[in-house]
Amino acid sequence: MPAAVQKEKGSASLVAMLLVPIIVVNSIGFILPILNLAQLSFKEALVGGGIGEAFTLSNWAILIEDTFYLEVLWQSVWVSAAITLITLACSYPIALYLHRTSDPIRTVLIVLVISPLLTSAVIRTYGWVALLSDNGVITSLLTSMGLNVPPLMFNTTGVIIGMTEILMPYMILALFAGFGRLDQNVEDAARALGANELRVFTRVVFPLTLPGVVLGCLLVFVLAVSSFITPKLLGGGRVFLLATEIYDQAIVTLNWPLAATLSMLVLIVFGLALALYARALRLVTA
Amino acid sequence: MPSDQPSPSRTAGTGVPLHLRGLTKKYQDFVGVDNLNLDIQGGELVALLGPSGCGKTTTLRMVAGLIPVTSGEILVGGRDVTSTPTYQRDMGLVFQSYALFPHMTIAQNVAFGLEMRGIGKDEIKARVRDALRMVHLEGKEDRKPTQLSGGQQQRVALARALVVRPSILLLDEPLSNLDAKLRDEMRREIREIQQKTGITALFVTHDQVEALAMCDKIVVMQAGKLMQAGTPREIYEAPANPFVASFVGRANRLTARGDGSGRYGLSGVEIRGSAGISGNVTMMIRPHRITINDPAAAGENGLSGRLTEVTYVGDLVQLEVASGDQTIMVERSTRSQEALPTIGESVSLNWSAADTMVFSEDAP
Repeated sequence: MPAAVQKEKGSASLVAMLLVPIIVVNSIGFILPILNLAQLSFKEALVGGGIGEAFTLSNWAILIEDTFYLEVLWQSVWVSAAITLITLACSYPIALYLHRTSDPIRTVLIVLVISPLLTSAVIRTYGWVALLSDNGVITSLLTSMGLNVPPLMFNTTGVIIGMTEILMPYMILALFAGFGRLDQNVEDAARALGANELRVFTRVVFPLTLPGVVLGCLLVFVLAVSSFITPKLLGGGRVFLLATEIYDQAIVTLNWPLAATLSMLVLIVFGLALALYARALRLVTA
Repeated sequence: MPSDQPSPSRTAGTGVPLHLRGLTKKYQDFVGVDNLNLDIQGGELVALLGPSGCGKTTTLRMVAGLIPVTSGEILVGGRDVTSTPTYQRDMGLVFQSYALFPHMTIAQNVAFGLEMRGIGKDEIKARVRDALRMVHLEGKEDRKPTQLSGGQQQRVALARALVVRPSILLLDEPLSNLDAKLRDEMRREIREIQQKTGITALFVTHDQVEALAMCDKIVVMQAGKLMQAGTPREIYEAPANPFVASFVGRANRLTARGDGSGRYGLSGVEIRGSAGISGNVTMMIRPHRITINDPAAAGENGLSGRLTEVTYVGDLVQLEVASGDQTIMVERSTRSQEALPTIGESVSLNWSAADTMVFSEDAP
């Protein structure tokens, strides 16, 4: 069928044409800077912010020799993992409710879920500062009730609380998008077969929502590892994470090669998270 | 835990009777099911038949416990289950959309209900194998539902529902997603399995052919109300009202006037009918019970008219005849060798008094 072949050829070149803009934008805006960052991590840092010409492995050696950076890496990963799990626990019921409700309530609720994204993370973080600080609303309320409140800010607790709220919209939307396999009839079939509500959830509902759960976790974990403003403000310089450390090296210490090396480390963490995601997705959709 | 041992009223091969007493479902602005009373004998296959929105699915879902009852009672084997949660009702449910668990294999799907009942691994294995053999799906144990055809998926759903030996089998339009040929085959298969297991079954359908061919009893519903309950023959031969007469099978609907002695005036001609009603009446005649230009039919009810349209539908020819201000549809088998009258020709129609169904004008 020459006509069909011709049509296929035509659409193939059309696809190539349509891909050109995004390839150009991604090459200039994404691939080149990363390659630049990669080569920078093999350059020597000179006193006063200068960058040496010679090739060196010293930046990478620091990462392995100086236990501080290994601790930062470990701290970054577990804090982000904790944020991811708490965000999942807070978002799952909301996403399930969104899935089960119908318009017009659903649309209103989705707008409400998205609305925090209209405000910048900086402003929302300052909101948390006002709430969590030593003489903030939450602490003074609990203290007036005679409770002994541990400090909620300038520590990991504060970072986790603030990050959870800031990342919840992403988690809710990812879960909601991944709930497509849920089906009322399938749940009813389980009930009729003798499953009580708990077993309907653990054996049918939760397994069917796993693709959404895995996607939401990847998204939130990556955003948590790379976020900088909220940990900086709510950690008060006492919580050391990869993103804040990169900022300090690049802006405060002016050690760009080490900052570049740490950035590459973050990229490796992302790569591992992505590999884990692909594996988990295969497992839950198999 | 749903009881796995048969209740006292239940012996092997004969199912549990199901009684609905004044079953009613009211929503804010309308009544879904209105005071439904129904007695289903053990081992019967009963069709709930009606157009969409007539309350048949609502009834089935109330029996399953999936939607709460506004008022009335559901008795299974004499036991009131009206407020028993679904998971303790011990009912097998088969959906139009199959509703298999997509993340489980065929064997896991069938085993689910047995696991919920805490049955041992070895027995589960044996019963799953038997159930899959019953629906001719041996060897498909490790497939996922999406790897099977629609008919095969519905067979799995049937096996999954029956493997737990439920007291009642509920089927919600189980054949509507299948193509015509497969539907015929599955119809026979469901009926065969139902009779072999002796289970009491409630079958929701909007397809009158399905209801007539498969079921011991048909319950015709309309707008939440029971119109008529009876055997397929009763429903077809002696419909209780014009709605049933036209919903189950085709029927001409004519208006006439009766004198109270079984004689009716129709387009100025005297017609003898099956009942003695006076005043305005609705007269229903099945199109295939009317003969056209048949000299042997003299002495029966007769009407003359003009042939206005002929439609060929394969096994039948449908003829439309205008008589006075009424239009009458006549069906003739295409097996008949006689030549058809041409359009515009005047014809005489005849049918027997027994085939003249008469209802009072205000019947539904």
